[in-house]
Amino acid sequence: MNRVLTKAWPILLRPQIMGLTNHWRHPEKGSLWKPLILACLAVGFWALTFFVFQRVLLYFRSVELFGDLLASKLMAMMLLTFFSILLFSNMISSLSTFFLSEDLHLVLSCPVSFNRLYYARLTETAIHSSWMVLLFGLPVFFAYGWVYRSSLDYYLVLIGTLIPFLIIPAALGTLFSMILVNIFPARRTKEILFLLSISLVIGLYFLLRFLQPERLVNPESFAGLVEYFIALNTPSWPFLPSFWATESLLPFYQGNQASSSFFLGLLWSTAAAMVVLGNWASRVLFFDGWNKSQEARRARLTQSPFVNRLIQKISRPLDPRMKALATKDFKSFFRDTTQWSQLILLSALVVVYLYNFSVLPLDKSPLPTFFLQNLLSFLNMGLAGFVLAAVAGRFVFPAVSLEGSSFWIIRSSPVSLRSFLRSKFWMSLLPLLILAEVLIFLSNYFLRVSPFMMILSAVTIFFMTFGIVSLGIGVGAIYPRFRVENAAQIASGFGGFFYMILSMLFIGGIVILEAGPVYTIFMAEFHHRALSFWEWTGIALSFAGVAVLMGVAVIVPMRMGLKKISARDF
Amino acid sequence: MIELFHLSKNFGNFPAVKDVTLQIPRGEIFGFLGPNGAGKTTTIRMMAGLMKPTSGRVFLDGKDVLRQPEEAKSILGFIPDRPYLYEKLTGQEFLEFIADLRGLEAGNSQQKKIGELLNFFDLQGWSQELVESYSHGMRQRLVIAAALLPRPKVLIIDEPMVGLDPKGTRLVKGLFRDLAHKGVAIFMSTHTLELAEEVCQRIGIINEGKVIALGNMQELREKAKTTDARLESLFLKLTGEEEAEELLG
Repeated sequence: MNRVLTKAWPILLRPQIMGLTNHWRHPEKGSLWKPLILACLAVGFWALTFFVFQRVLLYFRSVELFGDLLASKLMAMMLLTFFSILLFSNMISSLSTFFLSEDLHLVLSCPVSFNRLYYARLTETAIHSSWMVLLFGLPVFFAYGWVYRSSLDYYLVLIGTLIPFLIIPAALGTLFSMILVNIFPARRTKEILFLLSISLVIGLYFLLRFLQPERLVNPESFAGLVEYFIALNTPSWPFLPSFWATESLLPFYQGNQASSSFFLGLLWSTAAAMVVLGNWASRVLFFDGWNKSQEARRARLTQSPFVNRLIQKISRPLDPRMKALATKDFKSFFRDTTQWSQLILLSALVVVYLYNFSVLPLDKSPLPTFFLQNLLSFLNMGLAGFVLAAVAGRFVFPAVSLEGSSFWIIRSSPVSLRSFLRSKFWMSLLPLLILAEVLIFLSNYFLRVSPFMMILSAVTIFFMTFGIVSLGIGVGAIYPRFRVENAAQIASGFGGFFYMILSMLFIGGIVILEAGPVYTIFMAEFHHRALSFWEWTGIALSFAGVAVLMGVAVIVPMRMGLKKISARDF
Repeated sequence: MIELFHLSKNFGNFPAVKDVTLQIPRGEIFGFLGPNGAGKTTTIRMMAGLMKPTSGRVFLDGKDVLRQPEEAKSILGFIPDRPYLYEKLTGQEFLEFIADLRGLEAGNSQQKKIGELLNFFDLQGWSQELVESYSHGMRQRLVIAAALLPRPKVLIIDEPMVGLDPKGTRLVKGLFRDLAHKGVAIFMSTHTLELAEEVCQRIGIINEGKVIALGNMQELREKAKTTDARLESLFLKLTGEEEAEELLG
């Protein structure tokens, strides 16, 4: 009986497979071109990654003595990075699939053996966690094959290598999370792992940035970098699956004599052993862990009297209803680890953004420093706008959708939807304004720009932020996603994509409209001459255009959002 | 006072609610019954301002829900069929949020009222826990507490007893009677026929979007041309589900 049940474990994956099939068979009205756009983006991304890696590898190959070594070190580092990411992402994913999924109540009430459950959930975990790494990785592997003119064998071994390479972290990650859930409650473990993985991403981000990859194009510093690459010992640790994967692929693209069958054997036998071990462990650990994952928990920091008094003080000037909404949003945000932890990512983004300006070699440029500083400052306005739009895409656009299924509370209470949207607008505007001004002020400080440029940037970004926030709230109300399980999914839909496009157009429009007058003023200053009447008229018209565009961006999205959400049945 | 005039709702070409007209005076508990998919929840959602009717109007204490939504909702207490709440707030914070949202004066009187409701619904011990850890029944009790917080003149309830234990059910029955005695108009949709029979003065039965029977138990019996005293038999006869029951033997 048990044998038959174990064989039939793929049946447990049927709801997921059928859900996906039905999604394609019965697309939502007007959603046919959404997958088309996403497919185009994916192809574009693949093409770009392939192109960049192909250039880098060709460049490496042109370096005598070190070239092939650099290429294999790069592959080793990449596989090590993939392995770490896979391990973390499998740990987080397995917490959901094994312990937190809503459908577990149904599955566990059916006569399903733990064996079947383990295999089905392990497959689901591995697919969830690995598709992104595959998406990022495949064009890189293809670039290796292309540059080294590898035969078909390389691609066959690549498949044979990648399958166990994805299974090992899935089985290992699942095993770790089963142990962790037996020590901590599942929700708390998920938060800890989420924070750890965010720290890992930030660590990698800082590492890559502070390595200063731009030095690769500078021959003076290249020798030092080669030494650094060669000195890297970590990826060569022979007990890591990433090392085995590197060694099994190496002979097929660099054509040396080493045999890969030993390392392929290691990968496959370890993968099989991990799955068997994981299955044994799940019989002992799963059910106890599942019981623990049902435990309740308390709010900590945001329930302390000090924090409550602070919130009361900050929100005192607000109208009582707006204050209630703001307090609720603030507490919900800081109690949801998947939400607040993104602030850490945001801080890393800002630090690196400012760091980039602090290391700009302005003095080495052939252009006059005064001209370059102000040109960069002008471009920086657009760049900072894009950063703000990206941040708003993550925090402002989902503001309406975050009400989720609880939106009935707002709709059935005596609060107008206009006040509701306004409260969301003001709540989002304040932190974004602070971020915008900090970005602009500090980057301009590092650029040592003229006072005119400093004031122009500060004022432009100030009003631009109003437009970005209004677009975020407005488009978020036009395309709300009240029924997503994870807040991170809200921005990844069509509405989020549409918002980003509109924001880019808005920011681009402002930059283009201001470029003319700024250029005219600088040229006049550079040549020490006064502006003519027609120049003044042009400047006035351009700035009037900027004002109109900003006005439209602030008013129109909020109005359309209000109209759409008012007409929506709930 | 609750008034529904020629209320209709179409989803595309499908008419979910057809020309419903009802009046529920102050102090009455009105039961709204019907088979699954008959249009009960759609009617209730239009009454609470969550859905826009295709045609017709809803008045709560003389205020048009569509044209004067804030005035109408300020006297409304609404309890939905599925108690979705803000998961990351504690029970106490949720009630404070509702009090502020409904413009109740902050301070000691608000806190006292919240404390009383938490006590009444046996939630005091859980008031500092996040709502995400509440059971279905506890959420239902919290939603009822929230609906009662602003002392509503009109109470609209979609399936009040789902998830409640016998103690909670008894508590809520007594509460409804008490509220009606104080002049609150209560509109209640339910599948629990014993509850409707026990507490409602009048009952409306909706089937395929149309109100097919309306009145007290005696009037329903006359309409169904039966002398059977039980609401269950009347309901099955009026909604044509008696034949299905006979088929099941």
